[in-house]
Amino acid sequence: MGDDYTRLWTYRLKWLYTLLVVFTLMLPVFYVIYISFNQNGFGARDYVFTFEWYSGIFTDLLLMNALGNTMLLAAITTVLAVPLGLIAAKFYKATGTDRAKLLTVSLLLSPLFVPADILGSALLVFFKNLNIACATAGEWLGVSWFETWFELGYFSALVGLIIYTIPYIFVVILITMGRYKEQQSEAARSCGATAWQAFYQIEFPQIRAGVFSACAFTVILSFNEYTRTSLLKGGYDTITSVLISQMLNEGMSEQSYAMSSLISFIAIAVIGSIIIYTLVHTDRLEREARAKAQPVMSS
Amino acid sequence: MNQKNDIAVQVSGLAKNYGAVQALRGVDLTIGAGEYFVLLGPSGGGKTTLLRLLGGFIRPTAGQILLHGRDVSEQPPNRRPTSMVFQSFALFPHMTVAQNVGYGLRLRRLPKAEIAARVDAMLEMVGLKDLADRMPHALSGGQQQRVQLGRSLVLEADILLLDEPLAALDAKLRKDMCLELKHLQEQIGITFVHVTHNQEEAMTVADNMAIIADGVLVETGTAQDLYENPQARFTADFIGENNIFDGRVSGLTGSGVEIDLGFAKFTVDAQGQTPRVSDMVSVSIRSELVRVLGPGEAPEALLQTVPATYGEAVYLGLATSHVAKLANGDNIVARHVSRGGTSDDFEAEAPLTYAWPRTQMRLHLS
Repeated sequence: MGDDYTRLWTYRLKWLYTLLVVFTLMLPVFYVIYISFNQNGFGARDYVFTFEWYSGIFTDLLLMNALGNTMLLAAITTVLAVPLGLIAAKFYKATGTDRAKLLTVSLLLSPLFVPADILGSALLVFFKNLNIACATAGEWLGVSWFETWFELGYFSALVGLIIYTIPYIFVVILITMGRYKEQQSEAARSCGATAWQAFYQIEFPQIRAGVFSACAFTVILSFNEYTRTSLLKGGYDTITSVLISQMLNEGMSEQSYAMSSLISFIAIAVIGSIIIYTLVHTDRLEREARAKAQPVMSS
Repeated sequence: MNQKNDIAVQVSGLAKNYGAVQALRGVDLTIGAGEYFVLLGPSGGGKTTLLRLLGGFIRPTAGQILLHGRDVSEQPPNRRPTSMVFQSFALFPHMTVAQNVGYGLRLRRLPKAEIAARVDAMLEMVGLKDLADRMPHALSGGQQQRVQLGRSLVLEADILLLDEPLAALDAKLRKDMCLELKHLQEQIGITFVHVTHNQEEAMTVADNMAIIADGVLVETGTAQDLYENPQARFTADFIGENNIFDGRVSGLTGSGVEIDLGFAKFTVDAQGQTPRVSDMVSVSIRSELVRVLGPGEAPEALLQTVPATYGEAVYLGLATSHVAKLANGDNIVARHVSRGGTSDDFEAEAPLTYAWPRTQMRLHLS
């Protein structure tokens, strides 16, 4: 809403503009969805509506395999990286001096400033050399059980994704943590809580929103990632890398259009529900934040 | 909890450094069980540091803390017989009043029925029975502090630590809650250690108090001791409104100490202290004991007098302060009970005599 002086028409125009921007951004997605229902596929002159490609998704082994890999990578990255980012944010808050804070932030955010292809290829070279070192050491020692530890695959892709996502997790959690008052942990300790109980029962419920957003962020980031994942694992192993590799080499298959559309439907539904939930609860959250910031001074 | 002759807190050589900053320097302090003890001092003087050391929220750089005879210097807060009330923001905002109060009991895994009964009794005691299901943000500042009190007291810890518990409240409410705290402590009988920078608050509640400034424990005593017979110059400056004169010992006659202030010479009783000739010392006199003699008014015997040039009157309600300048340029203040009208006003720049009983002067060696 605006204030009393807002003109109704400028207010409507602003909304119209916002919707226009969103529509422009989403147009390619709508186009993909449009193609996915065409029996003749991309570029065909005739449009024949069909669900055929959607039923083809589940028998396409390449796509099904990629979906499995993608979900597994996203899940493991989230499980490993979010607690690491949380610990980093807690460390940052507990650090006393400004100099130490600056150092922590610079170190944690540095992966953001390295371009994806450079970080990816650097890790690729690193893992290749590590493999050579392992092989040489194995030959020299006459044992081989550790030679495959660092071969390109899940492990190397996970390392790439964790390095990539930790800065985002750190920042997102730190923002919600900033509002938390440390006296509450101290009060819990003086009520007899251990450090862990104080964190889990008192602090965590208040930063939960930040932790959950960080999880969602991580899933989306690792889902979307192409460069690092394809360099460190392979070009046809996750949904995004399959789509891009197909596009670059032979053009996307009709099932891939259907798959992309399906993912878009799910993403729009999930994000839409989050937005609606947040809108409904914004008032309450703001009221609570205000109440915490300004205790009433009279009885 | 009847340990009247016990010692609740015994602190020796306690120090805390933050880098190069010495927040607390070698403090020795004993607090008897069942006492209402106040740590009073200016902001940044180290009193909160001392309280947080007692509570286990910070680790001492040096020294030892015994609580009821047990060395807890290296123990975390949850292993100490203490509970703490914070200045503000310390309620758990995601829990109701009753859940806040019952938190410590739930940690102890007591039966649900017992928790509910004890929380009810505690809410009754702190006057919040009707607000049990409210969330903290829907409470006033005074109510929030009552919840904090309840949350701490329900644990029946031996020692309750209060860190400026009333500082966020307005003046009227602070006064009321002061007395309530005092009565609550008398009723429960456990040791309270209360930190404040507010002199009136300290004097209202304290059985005994300690003055802490610049990381050092300056002096301990009852409110009356510290107000009427402060040993340290700092105490005289900090508590009440005192006129303080600095000078050099120029002679010793029996128990009398002659002090040269530059513009005058005072003779003060040594009060058991042993100053040496040419030591720098201070003399203080409470401003309510000082009287202003009009021009030509003869001083009575046993009065110490100094000439002064009248400055101005400051009306403070109950009292009026008459400020004048001494020959050395320092101010001297006499506080008279306001009599209404302008009958006790003097003219600016008038040469007057300020006088007070010799025996009420106090000598400060430090």
